[in-house]
Formats: sequence, C-alpha cells, structure tokens
Amino acid sequence: MARRGWGGALRTIGHRLLILGFTGFAIFPFYWMAVTAFKQNADLYVGASNTAHNPFIFNRPPTLEHLQILFGTTLYPTWLFNTLWVGGLVVAITLLLGVPAAYSLARLTGRWGEHLSIAIFLTYLIPSTLLFIPFSRLVALLGLQNQLWALVLIYPTFTVPFCTWLLMGFLKTLPKEIEESAMVDGCSRMSAIVRVVLPLAVPGLLTAVIFALTLTIQEFVYSLTFISSVSRMTVSVGVPVALVRGDVYYWGSLMAACLITSVPLALLYNFFLDRFIAGFTVGAIK
Amino acid sequence: MQSRRQFILKGAKLVAVGAAAASAGPTVFVRGAGAADKQLKVLQWAHFVPAYDKWFDPWAKDWGAKRGVEVTVDHVGFADVVPRATAEVAAQSGHDVHMFIGLASAFEEHVVDLKEVAGALEKKYGKPVELAHRSTYNPFTKKQFALSDMWVPDPGNYHKKVWTDIGIPNGPVTYEDLVKAAPEVKKVAPQMQIPIGVGLSQDIDSNMAVRNILWCHGGSIQDKEGNVVLNSPETLKALEYAKRLYSVGMTQAVLSWNAASNNQAFNAQETSYILNSISAYRTAQDNKLPVLENYFFVPALKGPTGIQLASEHVMSGYVVWKFSKSQDVAKEFLVALVDASRESMLASKLYNFPSFYGAAADPGTAMNKKSESGAAWIAKQCNADPFGSQPGDKLSLLAKALPWSTNLGYPGFANPAEGEIFDTYVITDMFAKTATGALSPKDALTEASNRCKEIFAKWRKKGMVAGGSKDR
Amino acid sequence: MTTTEIALATPSRSRGASLSRRDIRLGEILLAPALAYIFLLVAVPFLLAVFLSLTNSSAGSLQFSFVGLQNFRAVLGSPVFRRALWNTFVFTFVSQFLVMVLGNILARALMKPFRGKLLVRFLILLPWAAPISLATLGWLWIFDSTFSVINWMLKVVGWLGPGQWYYWLGDPVLGMVAIITVHVWRMLPFSTVILLAGLTSIPKEIHEAADIDGAGPLSKTFQITIPMMLPILTVAILFGVVFTFTDMSVVYLLTRGGPYNSTHVLASLAFQDGVLGGDVGRGAAEAIFLVPLLVLMAVVMLRISRRAEVV
Repeated sequence: MARRGWGGALRTIGHRLLILGFTGFAIFPFYWMAVTAFKQNADLYVGASNTAHNPFIFNRPPTLEHLQILFGTTLYPTWLFNTLWVGGLVVAITLLLGVPAAYSLARLTGRWGEHLSIAIFLTYLIPSTLLFIPFSRLVALLGLQNQLWALVLIYPTFTVPFCTWLLMGFLKTLPKEIEESAMVDGCSRMSAIVRVVLPLAVPGLLTAVIFALTLTIQEFVYSLTFISSVSRMTVSVGVPVALVRGDVYYWGSLMAACLITSVPLALLYNFFLDRFIAGFTVGAIK
Repeated sequence: MQSRRQFILKGAKLVAVGAAAASAGPTVFVRGAGAADKQLKVLQWAHFVPAYDKWFDPWAKDWGAKRGVEVTVDHVGFADVVPRATAEVAAQSGHDVHMFIGLASAFEEHVVDLKEVAGALEKKYGKPVELAHRSTYNPFTKKQFALSDMWVPDPGNYHKKVWTDIGIPNGPVTYEDLVKAAPEVKKVAPQMQIPIGVGLSQDIDSNMAVRNILWCHGGSIQDKEGNVVLNSPETLKALEYAKRLYSVGMTQAVLSWNAASNNQAFNAQETSYILNSISAYRTAQDNKLPVLENYFFVPALKGPTGIQLASEHVMSGYVVWKFSKSQDVAKEFLVALVDASRESMLASKLYNFPSFYGAAADPGTAMNKKSESGAAWIAKQCNADPFGSQPGDKLSLLAKALPWSTNLGYPGFANPAEGEIFDTYVITDMFAKTATGALSPKDALTEASNRCKEIFAKWRKKGMVAGGSKDR
Repeated sequence: MTTTEIALATPSRSRGASLSRRDIRLGEILLAPALAYIFLLVAVPFLLAVFLSLTNSSAGSLQFSFVGLQNFRAVLGSPVFRRALWNTFVFTFVSQFLVMVLGNILARALMKPFRGKLLVRFLILLPWAAPISLATLGWLWIFDSTFSVINWMLKVVGWLGPGQWYYWLGDPVLGMVAIITVHVWRMLPFSTVILLAGLTSIPKEIHEAADIDGAGPLSKTFQITIPMMLPILTVAILFGVVFTFTDMSVVYLLTRGGPYNSTHVLASLAFQDGVLGGDVGRGAAEAIFLVPLLVLMAVVMLRISRRAEVV
C-alpha cells in the first residue's frame, strides 16, 4: 500500500534537506575556494572576528590577478600535463599487471591464492614516508632521477596491490558458469576471458582505473623526492613550490589551482558512476 | 601441491634474474651523461621574493655560460629543503650544490670541506659576520661544512597607531614592555584577536621566537663547549616569563601558527606585535594593505638583565655534496655568489643581508676598510629604501642589526644536535606546554632537557659534537 | 522456511574442483608479472626499511651501525609517540565510523530519483577528486585561528559570544575534531559510492519477500541488508581504515602535529623525526610500528569478508 499525504510530503522534504545538507558539507570548501580565487588580497586578509565583513562574498570587486599569476608565472599547465601523462601510464601498467593477476587469484589458484591475495594487499600498507628512502637509491641506480619515468615505475607499487585485490573481489562475484559455458562452446580459456569475462568486468575495471588515477594525482611524497626540475613536476608538488614561498602564501592562485584540477576529475568520475553501480548488480544476479 | 612448489621456484628464479639486471647499473633510460665537470646543478629554495629568483636563475646560467659550464637551477619549497637533501643522500646522486636555509649540520658527513672557499673569500673580503661563521663551521671536527652568502635579520614589527595610543609610540624595548603593554592593547584595540603575536607552535618562526626569549633571560641549550645546559634557573625564568606573556597577551591561536600566520595576522591588523623578517612588510606594500601606514620596526627586545639577542631568521648554507662530480666548479660558483652580494641584496628587496660585509664594499677599497665600506653601503640602502618605504628610513634599524643578531646554537656553534632539536620542536613544545599550563615549568623543562641530552648523546657517539662532561 | 531464507540459502560452490593442468599453468603466467613487480619494488625496499629501523642511520645515509631494538625501546618510552599511537587509532576509527553511518544515509538518499540528481552526485564527488595537498590548504584557512570562516559563521548566528572563539588548530581537542572532519569530508564520497553500489545490488525480490513476511525496517537492515552487503562493506571499511591509518598529509598540512605534538599520528611523527629531524632509524621504527597492527586488522577483516561471500 502506498503511503501518501502528510507522511509522503514530510519524507520528501526530509529527503531534500538531507541531500542539501550533505551537498553543502561537500562543497562549501569549494565554494570558498572559488570566491577566494577571484578575491583581491585586501579583501581576503580581514580577520573573521569582524562580523561586518562577509568572507563569502566579494566586498571589493573581483580580480583576475590570481589566475594571471597561476597561468602566467607558474608552469601550471605543464604540471597538469605531466600529471595526466604519468596518470595514464600508471593506470595502463596497473591494469596490465593487475587484471591477469586478479583473474588468476579469483579463478585459478584455490586456497593458497587466497593467502597470496591477502599478502599482496598487505604490501599496500607500507607508508611512502618510509619507502622513499630506499626508493631514491633504486631510482638513482636506474638513472631515472628527475625523470617522470621514475614516477611511472614507482607509483604502481601502491596502485597494483590494491587494484589487484579489488578486481579479484569483483571477478569473484561473476559466476564461473560464464567462462565455462563459453569453453563448452569450444573457446580456450584465454579467449573466454577476453571475449566474455572482460566485457562484464568493465565496471570493476573502471573502479580500478578511477582509483589508480586518484591515487596518482594525489601523491606528492615520491613526486617531491624524485623530481627536482620545476618543468617536470606534477601538480601536487609544483603548485606549493611556486605558490607557497617562504612565509607568503598566494592563496588566490592556490585555490584556483585546486579547483581547476578537481572539477574535470569529478566530472569524469560522475560520468562513470552509473556503469560502476550497474556492474555490481550484474554480479549479484545468479 | 606440486604445481605450487614449481610456481614458487619459477618465480624465485625470475625475481633473481630481475634483481641482477636492476643492480647491473643504468639501463636504456639513462639520458646523456656528458662531461661531468661541465655541468653544475644547484638546488635552492623558492625565495619569498619571486624577483630574487628571476635575478638568480639567469645570473647563474650566465656565469656558467662564460666558463663553458651548463648551470641548472632547481627550486624547492623551504619546507622541502631537508627532505630533498635526505633523498639525494640516500640516492647518492642529484644536485651538486644544495642550499640550506637553516642548519645544514646534520648532513656534515655527506658534504665536502669548503675551507679553501672560506679562506679565499676571507682573503678577498675580510671575515664573514660572526653568526655566519658559527653556522657553517664545526670546531669539533674542524670542518667548514657549508658556505653562507646571506643571512636575514629578525626585527620586531609593531603597529604604530596601537602602540602610540597606549603611550609607547616607538614600540617595545624590553620583554617586560610586552607584558605591560598587552592589557593596554586589549583596551585600546579590543578588535585585535591577539594583542601580542609571538608564536608557540611547531614552525620556524616560533622556533626563533622561543630561543630569543630563552637567550635574553640568560638561558641556552648548550654552552660554548657543547655541554647541554638547558636545565638552569635562567631557563625557568624564561619559561615563567612566557607563561605570564601568554596569559595576558596571547591566545591558543599562536599554538597553531605556521610560518605565514604571523604575517597574515599582522597584515590583517589582528595583532600589534610580531617577530618577523621584512617579508610580511613587503607583502603589505605589494598589496597596498591598510596596515601599511602603521607598519614599523624595532630591534630585538632586551631581557631583564639587558641581554639583547635575536636569532637570524634565515641563514643560507650552501653545501657541496661528496658525490658531486663538479666539485671544483661548485666551489668557484660559491665564490662568485658572494661576489654578487650587492645584486643579491637588491634583487631580494633588502631581504638578504651579505654574510661577507666586505663583499658589498665599494670597488677599490683597501682590504682593512672593506667591511666598513660594505656596512656603509648596506646602511645607505636601509636608510633610503629603494623599494618605496614611507618614510624612506623605515628599515634603517636593519643596518644596525648585527650587534643583536646571533646564530642558532648560541653561545656555541651550530651543530647537528642543535639542528635536530630545532627540527623536532623540542624547545617550542617546552614553552607551549608551560604557557598553556599543560605542564608545570619544572616538568616541561625536565622533559625537554632529557630529550636534548638524549639527542646530544646520540650525536656525540657519532663523533660530531663536543662536550658531555658538564651536562646539567 | 520463509521466502527470504530460501533466497539466502543458495549453496556455495566448491572451488578449484577440476582445474586442468593448463589452467594452473595459465594461472601462474597471469600472476607472475604482478608478483615479480611487487616483490622487487615493494618487498625488497620494505625489508630495507625494516633494517633501517634497527640502525642509527641518519640524514638518509645508507652507512650506519646496527643498534638492535634500541630505536623501538626509545620510541616506546616517548610520551609523544604514545600519544601519536593513540591518535592514529582514534582518528581512524572515529572518522570511519562517521563515514560509514553518514555514507549509508547518503547512499540511501541517492537511491531515490529526484531532479538534479546528476548535479548533486557531481558535487558530492568533488572532495574525493581534489588533490589532498591542495584541498587541505583550503581547510587550513577555513580553520585558521584568525580567519576561520566557520568561526565567522558561528559569530554571525550568535553561537560565539563576544570574546569567545574556537581555536581549531591550536587546541588539542579541537585540532583532532578538525582533522577528523577533513578525513570524513574526503572519504565520504568514495564510501558512499561503494555503499550505493552494494545497496543497489540487493535484488528487489529479497526486500519484497521480507516485506511479505512482515519484517520491519530495522530487522530488514540487520538480517538482510548488512549480511548481503558484507563483502562490499568490508571493502569500503578496510580501504577507508587503511587509507586513514597511513595518511600523513592531512595531519601534517593542518597542524604539523601540533599543538605541542599532540595531534601527531604515527605517519606524520615518523616523517618529522625521520626526515626533518634526520634520525632515520627512529623514523623507520615509528613508521613500521603500524604494520603488524594493520596486518592483523586486514587479515581479520578479509576473513570476515570471505566467509560472507555468497557465490
């Protein structure tokens, strides 16, 4: 029996308020960042105890100077490009190493595969603030110092373990009958994997891609350690180097950089979200 | 299972091969090495004045070009200077010259002795300022581990209108003045969140501030011989002073300050006194902030017995790594850098002060008059600020900063133990815990003193620090 | 048996019942590259790092002397370390608990269709998409003692009276609140998405069958939703816990461990002591203290997850 009338209306209002509340919580820092990116410094440096001065609006006319500093005096576009370049390669390597491994652990290895998968996942737990010291020796040995290739080499150390484990869990939700019926029809296992399993695993693959990309873009300890030329830096390292100088923060430009980096990524994730969710439903259908 | 064992064996063989390949040395990824001595790589902080970097980078390249040397300059945030050095030491490769902005002493064993450079510069320009010498030379190991080309004085910045309103128009002179003034400031400027803006947080400004208080009350971490003497009645006096000052003039805000916070608070007219180099002032000028007409300076404050000391705010320490393949070129570069002291000071808008005053002398001055001549030139810049101070002599006190400026490690020399104590905020914590009442002065002192002794003992074991017999 | 129970009682398949030799070989070949990479690039440096914790290495030098467990002993005796250990647990579990509860509420709210849902989803995903080092700088200003916009809002609505002020980052307790807030803000999108996927994957028939049997919302939650979502829940919780447990950026950028080292977590303390302070051996000891605990936790959670799988 459908419940309408008072109960329904209240629920709808409650629902809308809830959504509003969460959205507000998620974006209010971004709103502040957006305003700050265009605020004059004299409008920014006013103490918050001054209730007459509203920090969320423009008390003085907005300015483009922060964007000019960001795009005109720093190498922000280069850093964005570097970040995406490294991100793309790392995602490719992660998939290349992780997908076969995940399939193997999900289907072909039985009990000791379980233990191995746990062990693989556990390597993810070692913090980068510890590993960067031995890694710098390795990177120097390979002659990769100050090359973005060093990041391409090292970043999979934290994307591969987790993505393998994630993909393994995902593949396990796909029933075995899928390959088995393909193989009964005469396919080899490999072609069964490629033709039947992988298409169904796309949501899981997308999750792994998004995750690997996010981690790569956020990372800064290794990036700081291995890259010293400003033209080769990634966004996480380059922006603070250029815009946090000694004891002076260029807040407007910093916040603009953060926004410009986050918005496209969030759009991308949003776009893939439906397929990701749908994938879990497929797996659950027996 | 048979297959499992086989798999693991196969795997192990594979890994062994891979490891052998990796350790066999550089692979196809190596970019052209080229003649090592014709290259020089310099790593330095991103100067708070972007204009300085705009001068420095081309200047360094030109210098190299004239000698057939390819000079590369890379920049790093000031907080990242040490982590980057750590990584390069671990990697045993990277840059040739690395600039530290504080204590380079922890890396002493990994750098080349620069005594020839120091000697050559002394012959050319006379002695460097004492605080620079004490920050770059280790008398225990007799090693000149770094070369300083510049240092930055740390004056008090005060708000003229507020202090005039409370009857002290020329700003505070002693530490007691701060305590006396604080309640008055609150009455006269109730909108100011923090009457007296002395930091007690885990950052560089606070590190300097608490040491100034400590020294001016007669205490110190080490003595001239390197014994740990923190545990003393003088230190207790300093702690008690800090407690008083905090209760009348500060709030919890100062416990969370980073290096930019005191700048920002002063520029927003939320505090009437801070301890800072002229970086905050130049920001106010650049942005034409309302605080500018009331932005003035005072020298270091005096302690109860008249001691007047403030640490340098920044002390450059250029090191040449032992693994560098361009050590001779690097040494020549450092000499050239000191030669360019005048340009350095002007390019940084008077932020950088030369470590060799003689290098700023008028050309052609006699050797024994070089330091004076340099000092005179420096005074000329400070007395008539070429960068638009109103009145023009606002910065004149900086020219007289040398008598009250000292180095980290006072009264002794900078050393790795002092460096570690600085970088792990042992002293700021001691002051912060006392001021907020989290610990009694005696307990905070004991805790900090024990930690200091632990750190000193560790470095003494490595043979890099003296003293020990007279630890208190 | 009720319809619900029948639906849930699908037998699990036995694993690896009839894998051919070819299959096994294929399995090894597929697994080998990842395994080799992980071993060479993670296990070996990790072992080196463990070794460093048993030495007195300083300033990144790989020359040192062996000091046994001295670093561990020194570190355990330090009140700062013990506080950091405590903080690490508190931050992680409080923030993850909040994320789970809030994420659940949000996921359910997102299941209903409404106008502007796509836009809302985009906005909610933003915190996850933002690079942590830059987003935390934004929060730094939002919590700043002089400029905090939160304080401004509280003052405007009258919550903060004259002379009252919240020193977010300068107070040990408020500092922890600030750090937990940023962790929750950042993890909420990811966990919500995973929970949403899990909730959506429960077939409607099961809920309807339970309704027919007369189950109320609470018993449905505990007897159907949570058990069916357990594998997914475990992923979300485990990932969130590990991410927060090993995170150093939020703490380091917001408070640098202050005031007076009271908000450090193990990762940030290890960075301060090991890298900034130059005592690499000590830093390594502090950092790997985490690892046995994490291993234990991960193993427990993975076991739970495995048992709950209904394939």
